[in-house]
Amino acid sequence: MTRIGIVAERGGETRVSLTPPTVVRLITLGYEVAVEAGAGAASSFPDAAYTDAGADVTDRVGAWGADIVVMVTAPSADDVALLRDGATVIGMLAPAFRPEVRESLATRGITALSLDAVPRISRAQSMDVLSSMANISGYRAVVEAAHEFGRFFTGQVTAAGKVPPAKVLVAGAGVAGLAAIGTAASLGAIVRATDPRPEVADQVKSVGGEYLPVEVDEVMESSDGYAKATSEAYDRRAAEIYTEQAADVDIIITTALIPGRAAPRLITASDVAQMKPGSVIVDMAAAQGGNVEGSVAGERIVTENGVTILGYTDLAGRLPAQASQLYSTNVYNLVALLTPGKDGQLTIDFDDIVQRGVTIVRDGESTWPPPPVQVSAAPKPVAGEPAPKPEPKKAPAWRTPVLLGAAAVLLFVVTAIAPPPIPQHFTVLVLSIIIGFFVIGKVHHALHTPLMSVTNAISGIIVVGAMLQLASGVLVVQILAAIAVLLASINIFGGFAVTRRMLAMFSKGETR
Amino acid sequence: MSAAPVLLHSSASASAASASVAASVAGAAYLVAALLFILSLHGLSKHETARRGVRLWRARVVEMTGMPELIALLHSFVGLAAVIVGWNGALDPGEIDGALLGIHHAEVFIGVFIGAVTFTGSIVAFLKLSARISSKPLMLPGKNVLNLGALVAFVGLTVWYVITPDLWLLIVVTVLALLLGWHLVASIGGGDMPVVVSMLNSYSGWAAAAAGFILSNDLLIVTGALVGSSGAYLSYIMC
Repeated sequence: MTRIGIVAERGGETRVSLTPPTVVRLITLGYEVAVEAGAGAASSFPDAAYTDAGADVTDRVGAWGADIVVMVTAPSADDVALLRDGATVIGMLAPAFRPEVRESLATRGITALSLDAVPRISRAQSMDVLSSMANISGYRAVVEAAHEFGRFFTGQVTAAGKVPPAKVLVAGAGVAGLAAIGTAASLGAIVRATDPRPEVADQVKSVGGEYLPVEVDEVMESSDGYAKATSEAYDRRAAEIYTEQAADVDIIITTALIPGRAAPRLITASDVAQMKPGSVIVDMAAAQGGNVEGSVAGERIVTENGVTILGYTDLAGRLPAQASQLYSTNVYNLVALLTPGKDGQLTIDFDDIVQRGVTIVRDGESTWPPPPVQVSAAPKPVAGEPAPKPEPKKAPAWRTPVLLGAAAVLLFVVTAIAPPPIPQHFTVLVLSIIIGFFVIGKVHHALHTPLMSVTNAISGIIVVGAMLQLASGVLVVQILAAIAVLLASINIFGGFAVTRRMLAMFSKGETR
Repeated sequence: MSAAPVLLHSSASASAASASVAASVAGAAYLVAALLFILSLHGLSKHETARRGVRLWRARVVEMTGMPELIALLHSFVGLAAVIVGWNGALDPGEIDGALLGIHHAEVFIGVFIGAVTFTGSIVAFLKLSARISSKPLMLPGKNVLNLGALVAFVGLTVWYVITPDLWLLIVVTVLALLLGWHLVASIGGGDMPVVVSMLNSYSGWAAAAAGFILSNDLLIVTGALVGSSGAYLSYIMC
């Protein structure tokens, strides 16, 4: 049976690559699982939880010697030495940033799958650790900022005075940015966001932020989902916006990264100097050079004018249980994709762009970089006039006037010719029909079922007719009428009870 | 909702002497009842007022998913009651003569027809919704011809009945309508049942309106027409 080894991370990494719930699922897929002792300790998954899930607890050698070795951070040279020939390694191997890791694995028939190289397409989202970790980091960035910030995020009116809401600027509206916007908005702050891609405006709005566009002539839509490096004109205008915002907001969270290059500098030292004392900046790109002048990777800095700059690089790791669980699910989804037979046999199909993109070393040979993948959320340019939509089946225009005309003629004839009391009855009939249409037309869609129920109950009005016939002199008629009264009454009482039951479902929790 | 004013009328009609006073009191009561009905439907136009319009009976314990079939079942009662009222109208027409009598016959015939269609149609809808019979549509060969034929026969029979009001004609049309109601709804797939229930709702409204014509009762006409038009409009929207 193919054995999966969960290794313990070192170097202060708090996450673990596979959690006990995921172990259960992997065993169902046909694998055997072994975990290095203490691997999950820092993320609140004790060894006992792993054994309960069906894994064996082993030591470092045992875990690294498995057929498939799963980890969070890239392996060191010592770790690679412990690998079996032909083993498969799954982890965040940073193929673009750390070619030495890839080279160290391109040997002895080893296959290496790097979860941070998953193509950023919807189908692969379930395996994309960059997204899942960025989501957590964005959330944590706001939590860290709120921890440092000396005031509420939300506005309040209290007996001791009015508290204005905090103003937050998020630079970059990718996964981390959107998570930060959403978290800050749910804490009650006023949130604004910038991003070179105009197509994210709707996404920003949907999580509670206001998109600040940078108006320049060129279009910054991307073809691969990532923001491109920006032009000079764009940078100038953007810099103006950042300077304006820096003087106004209390919190700035920057998330801007460019694949394969250093992070763009967005906030200058003079911008920071304009900020109010007590303001907080979280630079999530500090590890890649930083978006903010003065940020230091991994450190907390306080400037002369009292602005706190956080450059933490382990934001996701600060929620180890959460991050481990999400990472673990990403790993499982990848393994499940590669185990089509659910039989514990890992197979890699290079025709699948996801599997091709994820594989950086195959059977000892480097397979990086993969062919580029086209992905974009940008709207396609309008190519000529769009084909006219086929008209929905509409009744011919002459139908309504003709029907109305016919009805009017009929009504006229009946009222003119028929002996009383028919005309009066007809008048009442017609007026009621019209009222019926108007009244029903106003009923909200969601209430249509209770409406059906109550009109059914009301049609029990037939009971009136039956009751009138009770007074008949003919016995048969009286008996039949009594039966009709009974039937109609059942409908009335039952119908109203049913309607009331239905409407109770719409109750918004008010007490009656 | 209108039980009180109606009872008032029934007891008052027994006394011939105060008939005219009773009649106008009854008329006023009918008008008020009709207005209340209209308001209750209008109340459903807002979630908040929707609950005010419905009386406070203890709700029976019915599964929420069982609601449409329950409505269909209750419906069949209304249909049957309408048939009975129509029959009673034929058995005891009261004192009408001349042209009014012919119209009365037509009203009775129509009322019985609509009521019977509603009755069997609702039963079938109930059976389909509660999965007691197959929800697959019954595809009889020439089913459209059957339905159309039944309608044509109905029109013919109505004319016949107006001229010679023989009871056996009434029996024939009752049976015809029962079969038509069954066939109409059996030919419709289970998934479309909610629209059918709404349509049947509408029919029962028209049946009540027809009864209102038979009995010369404005309350029945108003309420019946309200229900009829609301059901028709709802079915149209749901399609």
